Amino acid sequence: MIDNRPLSPHLTIHKKLLTAAFSIFHRISGIGLSIGSILIAIWISLLALGPNYFSIFEFMVGTLIFKIIFFLWTVGVFYHLFNGIRYLFWTYGLGMDLKTVYISGYVILFLTFLATVIVWVL
Amino acid sequence: MKNSYASKWILQRATALLLIPLTFWFIYQCISFQDLQYEELKLFFGSYINGCLFLVMMITMLIHAKLGCETIVLDYVSSLASQKTFKSLINIITFFVIFLVVVAIIKLSLV
Repeated sequence: MIDNRPLSPHLTIHKKLLTAAFSIFHRISGIGLSIGSILIAIWISLLALGPNYFSIFEFMVGTLIFKIIFFLWTVGVFYHLFNGIRYLFWTYGLGMDLKTVYISGYVILFLTFLATVIVWVL
Repeated sequence: MKNSYASKWILQRATALLLIPLTFWFIYQCISFQDLQYEELKLFFGSYINGCLFLVMMITMLIHAKLGCETIVLDYVSSLASQKTFKSLINIITFFVIFLVVVAIIKLSLV
């Protein structure tokens, strides 16, 4: 079965649609969060190794690159989470008409923005 | 083979469902930490409840990530040999990271 499985269509030949963009960003954020989960594992391992090793992380926290990565992680988590909830509704065939798909898409963008602002302001 | 794809599809959605409350819990805890200092975090993960919740979240997240990455590889990589290489790499990384997290949490809860 795996031999005959068709590939996904090439992204460049399609007209750019919001629905397609949502799907692509869900996958991009998923890959980013997968890498992020490895970083979380490294973080907890440094903590378990003791204060000398954890000081590496404490040094990193103050750097600009850490803040940028943490900001992107926050955006990625909320986007993937909210869009993932939408996918779970779709699993049951709910909210799949075109109008609802677009409305829920804009709601996800708004919720991602709102949640990211709340986390960074708090 | 057919059942394998179906079970992976169900597992991906089951892990997604489980991750919803766990992710909100983890983000809330991250906000609650004052400065992400060693003593504060050690105390936090020293609690069995927090350690268990974190462990469940990480294992669920890594299984979810593994399934998602495998789907992306199947969708966009045409060569069967490359698919197998990527899938093996994803499996090795996933199980190594799960091992790392389990050992870390056990060590933190014992100290």
